[in-house]
Amino acid sequence: MSSPESRSSRNFMTTKTVRVLTEAAGLLRAPQRILPLFSKLASDELRTTFEHRHLYSNVASTIPTADALRSVVDWIFRAQRPDGGIAAYYSLLTGYSESYPEVTGYIIPTLYDFGRLTGDLAARHAAYLATDWLLSLQMPSGAFPGGLHASDGGPDNNARPSVFNTGQILQGLVRAHTEMEAKTRNAKILKSAVAAGNWLAAIQQADGSWTGPAAYQGTAHTYYSMVSWALARLAAESGDPRHAAAADRNIDWVLAHAQPSGWIDGINLRGHPAYLHFIAYVIQGTLECGILRRRDDAIQAAAKAAWVLLRKFETHKRLLGTYEPDFRGGQRFACLTGNAQMSCIWLRLFEVTGDLRYLNAALKMNEMLKQLLPTKGRRGVVGGVAGSYPIWGVYQPMRFISWGCKFLADALMLEQRLTREFETKFETKFITKSEASGCA
Amino acid sequence: MRVAILCSSPYSETGCAVAARLAQLGNVPVGALTLPSWDRGTLLRKVGQWGLRDSLQYAVAKLSPGKSTIQKQIRNPYLASALRHGDGIFRSVTEVARAYKFLVATCSDQNSPRAVAQLKQWSPDLAIFTGGNILRDQVLKVPRLGILNAHLALLPEIRGMSSPEWSLLCGVPLGITIHFMDSGVDTGPILLRREFAGADGCDSLADLRNKMIAEGIELIAEAVAGLDRGTVSAVPQADREKDRQFFVMHEHLKAVATHRLQKGQLNLVGGRCDGSGGANG
Repeated sequence: MSSPESRSSRNFMTTKTVRVLTEAAGLLRAPQRILPLFSKLASDELRTTFEHRHLYSNVASTIPTADALRSVVDWIFRAQRPDGGIAAYYSLLTGYSESYPEVTGYIIPTLYDFGRLTGDLAARHAAYLATDWLLSLQMPSGAFPGGLHASDGGPDNNARPSVFNTGQILQGLVRAHTEMEAKTRNAKILKSAVAAGNWLAAIQQADGSWTGPAAYQGTAHTYYSMVSWALARLAAESGDPRHAAAADRNIDWVLAHAQPSGWIDGINLRGHPAYLHFIAYVIQGTLECGILRRRDDAIQAAAKAAWVLLRKFETHKRLLGTYEPDFRGGQRFACLTGNAQMSCIWLRLFEVTGDLRYLNAALKMNEMLKQLLPTKGRRGVVGGVAGSYPIWGVYQPMRFISWGCKFLADALMLEQRLTREFETKFETKFITKSEASGCA
Repeated sequence: MRVAILCSSPYSETGCAVAARLAQLGNVPVGALTLPSWDRGTLLRKVGQWGLRDSLQYAVAKLSPGKSTIQKQIRNPYLASALRHGDGIFRSVTEVARAYKFLVATCSDQNSPRAVAQLKQWSPDLAIFTGGNILRDQVLKVPRLGILNAHLALLPEIRGMSSPEWSLLCGVPLGITIHFMDSGVDTGPILLRREFAGADGCDSLADLRNKMIAEGIELIAEAVAGLDRGTVSAVPQADREKDRQFFVMHEHLKAVATHRLQKGQLNLVGGRCDGSGGANG
């Protein structure tokens, strides 16, 4: 008899092997992808061989932020499938994936932000289509299904409710609700969002975590702080104290995992290392929920973790793709999505604390990420954010991923807004020290 | 007082100026320990800091001065008086050493056993750091009194890199601190701490930095003389545990700092820099 652990490990290896074989077969089906694949492999090999990081790396702007932002958002537009959902990724081996409900959900706020910033109506339209598609997926319980959506577009009878996906879709629904002018449609979206929030609150454990069959790998994860963030947003719209209480309970549970080093334990991914993407999820969810719920304890915990990573980035001019507990060493590839998330976190911490070092680090991180955006190639490549740098790194290898584009677009838009505000404030509102002490 | 100089390159202007100034004041160094001329880390850093064109100009001026004027051979014009030697200037630490008869040793890493052995052989009372590697304990412990650094900001308020720029953005008065180095970043005991009053008329951050470097060299000379006479003593820094370390400034923020400098807005509070925005609570 084998133990459940070894069975689970075998299943994981089998899934991984099947995935590798499927991807390789994709290349045989579409040999025209061979050239772009080798071109990307060669360019990353060259870049990693000749790049030299030093104290002054990434301090100069070489690519205008607005151009990079446009290019990333164009990638998202091209990744929108005919059903309205956004593909999870473009693989250099198999092309676009099916629509991914989770990412489609949290890309909606990004599309609206871009629409507001640039006046681009296509972004609002894309968000509209994405919302419609998501509404069609909701289960009677209020939950949303996990995983990629079935390619035939029909109802997926094997779909299982997922806490994390429901939380991320909730982000999109709440934003769509605030943006929508048509009352009937607006009521429909809010009703759907409230149903999702009610389901999340109902299946939450007494300790504030989410576990059981609707949780990934059946276990509780601190990166579900991203779900609390969505619930906190919903609470602000619905006014329902149950949603706020559920968010607070989960953040309490997350904060109980905070270590003196700043590390927040409990990512709990069996078979995967702690990718920077998930570490950043924990921090970002905790921070944003803390801001919305006015929880100084959450903001401080997020700031402590974010500061450790800022120091590492500033000292080594890069972040590792994975970290061991207490931010000890990990794998040396770059998890670009995690980097973009850290930029978002530092920018928000600058906004909250006024500490310019966060802004400084984010500017450099954005600079590095902008330089890694492909400027030519196939439609799934140009403007895409690779899972890993170099592309063969262990996080989403050989793929350009939609959530990477989402977080980079968020980071670039935040950069634009905050630098503009900073300069304006600097010119007109900054007070002298003597005035400040006079006020006191 | 036996003083050794640590330089990032034999062609380091600051290294040359410190050695020459001390010698001019009668305190000829016992030796200068320098990284090689073609140290990759130093070259990359300089290209990043100055840009490729300025770095090349610097290299050409130092290695092949030809018929160029003295002004063109000096990157930092405020060091001219310290570097001037007869009809020409000192272009390298080796030339200063030849004129004042002290030794120059080259090492690939200032923390290497070879470098430590060389320093021990000179048995200095004091060393002065003008650039190079992040120094480790094995080197820091060699000079009897310690290793001095001129930091271009007031400590403990602004530690780390781009310190004049951060002073401008954070509304901390511009200043220079002479301190002993320890294993932290600019956390060692302070010997002299002085506000810098020469920012007026500076039209760029590079100009400001050059002026401050020149002033820093005078303060180093003052500190060495004070230590020799026993009239100055080091005071440990307050708030050592607070994270006040700053990092190289992005050019976007530098543009704002330049604007403040040019407008003479030297005492405006721009952003927080008390370390409380980070992990310090």
